Amino acid sequence: MEQEYLKSKRLLLVDDEQELLEMVVAILSAEGFKNLATAKTCQEALQTAEKFKPEIALLDVMLPDGDGFSLMEKLKGTGDYPILFLTARGEEEDKFKGFGLGADDYIVKPFLPKELVFRILAVLRRTYKSDSPLVKLKGCLIDFDRAEVLKDGEHIQLTAKEYNILVALYRNAGRIVTIDALCEAAWGDNPFGYENSLMAHIRRIREKIELNPSQPVSLLTIKGLGYKLLVEG
Amino acid sequence: MQNLAKYLRRFVGGLLLTSFLIIAVNIIVLVVIMSKQTPSIYPWRTAEEVLEALTLVKNEYVLAEEVEEALKRDGAWAIYIDNNTQEVVWQTDNLPESIPKSFSLSAVAQLTRGYLDGYPTFTGEGEKGLVVLGYPKDRFWKHMWPSWDYSFIANFPKMLLAVFFINLGMLFIIYLVANTQLLRSIKPITNGIQTLPTGEPVYIKEKGLLAEIASNINRTSEILQEQKIQLRRKENARANWIAGVSHDIRTPLSVVMGYGAQLSEDASLKEEHRQKAKVIVKQSKRMKSLINDLNLASKLEYNMQPVNLAQENLVALTRQVVVDFMNLDLDSKYPIEWETDEDFAFCPVMVDKELLKRAISNLLQNSMNHNEQGCTIYVRVEAAVAKGLVTIADNGVGVSEEELNKLNNTPHYLICDENTTEQRHGLGLLIVKQILAAHQGTVTLGHSSYGGFAVELSLPLLT
Repeated sequence: MEQEYLKSKRLLLVDDEQELLEMVVAILSAEGFKNLATAKTCQEALQTAEKFKPEIALLDVMLPDGDGFSLMEKLKGTGDYPILFLTARGEEEDKFKGFGLGADDYIVKPFLPKELVFRILAVLRRTYKSDSPLVKLKGCLIDFDRAEVLKDGEHIQLTAKEYNILVALYRNAGRIVTIDALCEAAWGDNPFGYENSLMAHIRRIREKIELNPSQPVSLLTIKGLGYKLLVEG
Repeated sequence: MQNLAKYLRRFVGGLLLTSFLIIAVNIIVLVVIMSKQTPSIYPWRTAEEVLEALTLVKNEYVLAEEVEEALKRDGAWAIYIDNNTQEVVWQTDNLPESIPKSFSLSAVAQLTRGYLDGYPTFTGEGEKGLVVLGYPKDRFWKHMWPSWDYSFIANFPKMLLAVFFINLGMLFIIYLVANTQLLRSIKPITNGIQTLPTGEPVYIKEKGLLAEIASNINRTSEILQEQKIQLRRKENARANWIAGVSHDIRTPLSVVMGYGAQLSEDASLKEEHRQKAKVIVKQSKRMKSLINDLNLASKLEYNMQPVNLAQENLVALTRQVVVDFMNLDLDSKYPIEWETDEDFAFCPVMVDKELLKRAISNLLQNSMNHNEQGCTIYVRVEAAVAKGLVTIADNGVGVSEEELNKLNNTPHYLICDENTTEQRHGLGLLIVKQILAAHQGTVTLGHSSYGGFAVELSLPLLT
């Protein structure tokens, strides 16, 4: 339900390699993305963007008439939407350069279709989260807008820390999030020494979202490593 | 530089010693010559002898034969002046014409002290008269006014000492100045020579006595720099070539991988065809990691990979790598056991986060690559004395002693400078070794207690 909404976003794809464009389109179409546009040059990309009004863009770093970073600058001038890079250059400096300029993610070629879809959805979810009011879990709904849980017709308020932890888990739904990443989400940089506090918060979150908190089915513990949130639908 | 100072100390010491010796030798020689000069008082003695040898025989003076002979040998003449008459009462036969026959008091005083008509004269005083000896004009030189201030003579030893020490001091200062200048001109040259082995560029001013040496050092430095640049250029070209190739392969490989993955999940295909597509995906994944490895390994080898050190928690970093793998390993063919003590949460190390993550994930990947049938991987982070340890072990096929020996001792083709066609081990472990080396860490390969392969990474612990 939520994914369908995200997959309906207008996606602009820019790469000079025709076959790669076709392949990405094939992958995304198969995954249910409905509004796709492609361009092979910076100029074409700018023209297409004007009419198409993309809500997310996927750019190659090296284009025949310029580089992806300056294209991103120009695109950002026409509208505020997330931009991902798709590139054959895996070097670190490029990575930092991309993020420094405001890129939302960076996918190094070659990639697996699953990875590409996951990364695009993660960025979309982060950007258009206000459009997705309710997240369905086994046994409850989470309303991130209001920071509350709906369980058995009851509205249970989430504290700020619980909210931050849940958001971090939700953004990586279905994947393990490390203890360290969760501590960072809740307590900011340099989050050492909060492991026990995190456990206490997880316990409280379970009390709010799980039907049986002692036997969790949505928020799972991966011993010693982290936690995983399972989302329905 | 220490050696130079020692050398100069020895040099100055030697100079001082030689100057002492020279002065001592001079004094000895002087004393010897002076002692040989004692006969210079002999004309006075001869005058005394003449006086004694003069006898009055029948109102006439006669000189003893042997004394007269001695006078003749010396070419000297003699006269005897009577005290009362002040006239010459005796004379030798060879008396020059110009010598007067009588003398005034002042004339006597004059000849006693110095010369008579240019002849150096010497006197012998008797009771009744004065004997005067005259020698050839070029025989003696007479000091006419042999008198000094009394204080001068009294202080003479002191003055001698003072002069000696002043001379010594002056010598020392001269040596010091000369040596300082020498040192100053040598210093840049020794500095230059000492800088040469470090590979830093050297330039010394080509001036003064040592200009030629300076110029040679400068040339040497230029040659070294040139060689360094050439070598660097070659290395850069090689690394860039590898980077370029790996870049160019990425896009076509994306297409292979993408379609392969799509086909492998295409429900309309036969299972057999889907399996083939899966193989395509698997092999393109291998190519991908090969490209990544090749690029990173060449960069690490030629020091083109920046190492951005920052304080990291080794536990958190390892945990992240493990979790990333678990998130990707959807069919759970390679379960990972996290064996780190639950209470051990913080292990500070100075590392480049991305590089170390790469090393750990290479090891995880290594276990997977060598155990197609699947295996359990055991990861443990612990602290030893001043060290943080990460152990990645598996219960897979492991390696034989022979293989282990080969892994530890055979250089990879990328860093092997011999011509060889022998098959070498993969890049994965080489990169791990390179990354750990860049962090002053070590890699130990061995057998796992679970029956498979085990690798222990050791990093200096931040205190």
